[in-house]
Order: sequence, then structure tokens, then C-alpha cells
Amino acid sequence: METGLLVQMLLGSLLGLSVYLPLRCGQLSLATPGFYAIGGTVAALLSTRVPALGISDATYPLTSVMLEMLLAALLTGVLALGLGRVVLRLRGIYLAIATIALVEILRVVTLNLEFTGGALGIFGIPQPFSGPEGYAALTFVVLAVVCWLCDRLEKTRPGRAMAAIRDDELAAASQGINTADTKLMAFVLSALVAGVTGVVAAHFLNSWNAKLGNFDASITTLAFVVFGGSRTWLGPVFGGLLLTALPELLRPVGDLRLIVFGAVILVGPLFFPQGLITPELFQTLRRRMGRSAAPSPQGGRP
Amino acid sequence: MEGLLQLLFNGLSVGAVYALFALGYTLVFSVLGVINFAHGAIFTLGAYFTYFLIGGAVGANGLMAGLQLPFSLPFWLALPLAGLGAAAVALVGERIAFRPLRDRGSDPLQALITSLGAGVILVNLIQLLVGAESYSIPVGTLEALPVALSIAGAKVRTVQVLLLVIAGLLLVALSIWIDGSRSGKALQAVSEDPVTAQLLGINSGRMIQIAFGISGFLAGVAGGLVGLSVSIAGPYFGIGYGLKGLGVLVLGGLGSVPGAVLGGLIIGLAEACVPSHLSGYKDAVAFGFLFLMLLIRPQGLLGRPLAEKV
Repeated sequence: METGLLVQMLLGSLLGLSVYLPLRCGQLSLATPGFYAIGGTVAALLSTRVPALGISDATYPLTSVMLEMLLAALLTGVLALGLGRVVLRLRGIYLAIATIALVEILRVVTLNLEFTGGALGIFGIPQPFSGPEGYAALTFVVLAVVCWLCDRLEKTRPGRAMAAIRDDELAAASQGINTADTKLMAFVLSALVAGVTGVVAAHFLNSWNAKLGNFDASITTLAFVVFGGSRTWLGPVFGGLLLTALPELLRPVGDLRLIVFGAVILVGPLFFPQGLITPELFQTLRRRMGRSAAPSPQGGRP
Repeated sequence: MEGLLQLLFNGLSVGAVYALFALGYTLVFSVLGVINFAHGAIFTLGAYFTYFLIGGAVGANGLMAGLQLPFSLPFWLALPLAGLGAAAVALVGERIAFRPLRDRGSDPLQALITSLGAGVILVNLIQLLVGAESYSIPVGTLEALPVALSIAGAKVRTVQVLLLVIAGLLLVALSIWIDGSRSGKALQAVSEDPVTAQLLGINSGRMIQIAFGISGFLAGVAGGLVGLSVSIAGPYFGIGYGLKGLGVLVLGGLGSVPGAVLGGLIIGLAEACVPSHLSGYKDAVAFGFLFLMLLIRPQGLLGRPLAEKV
């Protein structure tokens, strides 16, 4: 497999996780491509316009990339904190529509501003690595960190609170969970992940334009989560990996690949309402594995 | 004065299309409580149907390259037929993407994703069959009518007047049907509560199908009209309208028929008022309205307040 594709798959997983975080507390936010676009624009602008970061060096210093990530995370985090307070008062379909509107407004503005390069975008983003292998390593590290954080989150109080809100917001609130703050936290985390992913993607893609954060991207990233499953972080990771690779795997069917892609999003919720990967799946697997390895003294379940 | 009148006409004719578009959304939303994201694709389909029915040939790309119908219909016949075709596709979409979820009582948000899937399939199927190039419906289609009219000194394209008239007629017909007929009342009952409506002897499933059919017809006709007045910019051209339609929908109030009309006209006029040196920002107008409306008054201009069900 091409390493470039691997990088894209890992980036897909990260975006999937970004959609997953608010969805874990039942909030369908489609703002991920917007924050992704902001992260990418930050990286593109800083690396090409600020000489001190090292654009003229033979290879762009990795520390500068880290700095861009930090700044992108800061910017997207603060934005999400402000916007989240406002939009998270909406629920269900209203929240989804409001976030679509945010992404579209951002796209139109980026398209029209001078300093973001208009429709053409920003070119010649410096490369910290000589080949895709370096990007694969960097993206893998970022993904691993985010996955670890998500895993911790799922097993600790805030993560449980998120799941409780998803199941029944009113009941969760009556148990003393601060639903507004928990939802806001998920929204901000989602924005951070998307912003940092945008920084990596901007360097990897070498150029950045307004098209990268549009409605299509909202759909695709949503599909990662719906397809993979939204109840454990492994779902979006798996969905992101698979659905990013799918168009490549479908290369033999040529022009049909987007039709097949559409069919996957159409059929997924019909046959797997919870997504492919659910916590129950692990329980079943564990039980099966346990049974075949060491049969229990009672001779299995009655 | 003439400039103002021209502006008014431009805005109203665009707004009328938005209204037709949003009405389709609103009909489906009122009975199912979900947004049909395949609606933009149905609109696109209506435009292509109109193009082929008036005898247009398929371009050089795509599997159906060079294909042409052996007959060519006049525009006034092609448009409603294209609407019917679009309605048929919308019904198939309902059967595949909505009904299985409804039967199972799934989370309505799932329908958002399945309908997106249906839309992606439709758009790419169009691209596969007829290619990605843009098509335009020749102005000569409106044989006897002049290209432009002069109304109170302002020069207005006939297409725009036609658009306004047809959209107006459809809107009036729809409101008469909803408020004045038995089946229209039944539709209102289903949108109030499908289960109770069923208990009262209304076939809820059938009413939902009717809503989808009408929604598809309106989208198809709107597509044909836009194809005539601007052009068919490729298989993806409905998506932009689909997103703006959301703005109209929210501005007017989800599920409100007069709201969709009012919202469409307001956004059409607002877009026409954007000065030319800022025309790049025109596409953001609808979303700006949408966003503000959601924050100030989520139920929209004419919608009913959201009932918090506990």
C-alpha cells in the first residue's frame, strides 16, 4: 500500500474522532471541516509568511510544525468555546443545520479574503519531511495521542457523563451532571482535534484552499462515524481508515466508486444502526476468545 | 426607480425558486421531522429531465453520450413531466432511505445520513450517465415569447417573469390543497401526530408518500426553471441550492408552508441587494440569516414555538 494513502487514512481517522466527540454526548455537530480548515489555514499562513519559522531551511523544522499545532489548537479552542456557548443551546437537527451554516460562512469568507489566497489558496507550504513516511509517523503519533485521550475520557467521569447525556439529557441533568459544560467540553475537544489535524494535512498536501472545508467534507467525516460506530472511539478510527481507503480500494470499479460510497452511507444505518464497532461487539469477542482458550469449569453458560 | 424595480424582480424570481425548494423540505419535515438531504439531487434531476424532454442531446462524456430523445416537447409540457419524473424518484428515495428506518422506529438523525447517501448516489449516477459538463436550455424554447419584457420602464427577462408566475401558481395551489381539501387536512393531521392520525383512520404511510411526491414535484419544477433561467452547471449544482434551502427553511420556520415562501422571498431579495463589489459574499447571505435566526428565534419567522417534550 502507498504510504501517502496511509497518511490520508490516518487523517481520516482523526477527523472521524473529531465528529465522534460531540456525538458521544448526542450532539450532531457538523462543524469539524470548519475547524479543520482553520487549522490548515493557520499552518499555511504561518509557515509561508513567517520567515522566522524556517521556510528557507532545507527541511522545515518539526518544532515549527509543533508551534503551528499549538497555535491552531489555541485558536480553534477559543473559537469553539465562544461558538459552542451559542450553538449548543440548539439540539438535534437544529444544531446540525447551525454548524453547516458556520462551515459554509467560513468557506465563503476564506474564498473571498485576500490573505487566504482566495479561490486558489496558498501554495508551497514547506515540508518538514522528505517523504510520506515522516508524515505517516507524525500522523500516527497524533492519532495515538488522541485515541489515548479518548480512551481515558470514556473511562472517567466526564466521559461517562457524556454517554449519560446521550442516553437521556434530562435524567443526566437530574443526576447532577452539568450538561451544558459537558457538551461544551466535547465541542471544544472536537475543534482541537480538527484544528491540529488541519495543520498536519496542510503540510502533507503542500497547498491549502477553501474547498477543503466544505459541506462534502462534513458528509464524509460524518459517514466515518456513522459507519464505524459512535459508541466507542474505535468506531470512528475504523470508519475513517476504511472509508478513506474505500475509494482507492474501489479503483477497479472506476466511475462507480462514489456511487458505491453513497450506497455504503445509505445502507450502513439500515443494517448496522449502531455502526460496525460497538462495545457489545467486544464483549462478544472476548467471550468467544475466552471460551476457546480456556473453557470455564462450569462448562459454559447454561 | 427602474434600477430598484429591476432589483425587485431579480430578487423575487430567485426567491421564488428558493421558496419552491424550501417547500419540499418543509413538507417532508412536517410529516417526518427529518430533513431530506437528497432534495438537492432531486432538484438537479428535474433540471436534467426538463433538458432532455425538450429534445436536448447528451454531451460527449458519460455513458449515455450523444443520446437524444426522438421527440422534443414544448417547455410548458416538459416542465410538469420533469416534475413528475422527479416525484417518482423522490418516492423511490422514500421507500429506500426513509421507510425502513421509520418501520424500525430509529433515531430520526439516521435518516439524515441515509438520505445523504441517496443524494450522493443520485448525483454520481447523473455524472456517470451524462457527464459533468454544464448544459443550458436554449432561450428559443419559449418560442413565441420575447426574450425580455419592459415593465414600468424596467427591462426584465421573460424567464424571470415566467419563473415568478409558475412558482406563484404552484404555491397558491399547494396552500389551497393543504387548507381546503380532505387529503390536505389529513396531511396536517399526520404532521401533528402520525400515530393519532392513523387511529383516526388516516393512512399515515400514504400521506407521507404524498408529501414526498409533492416535494419531489416541486423540486423537479424548480430545477427545470433554474435550468432555463441560468443553466445546469453540472450534476452538483443542486447541492448549493440544497444548502441555501436550509437557510430559507430555518428563516421561515421548519414545517411552516407560508414560512418557506416568506423565507425564500426574503433571502432572494437580500441576495439581490448585495452590492456587486461584494458579490463573492452573496452565498453567505442565506447562511448568515440562518445562523442569526437560529440564535434569536429557532422556530423561525412563522413557525410554532418548539415544544420541549419531557
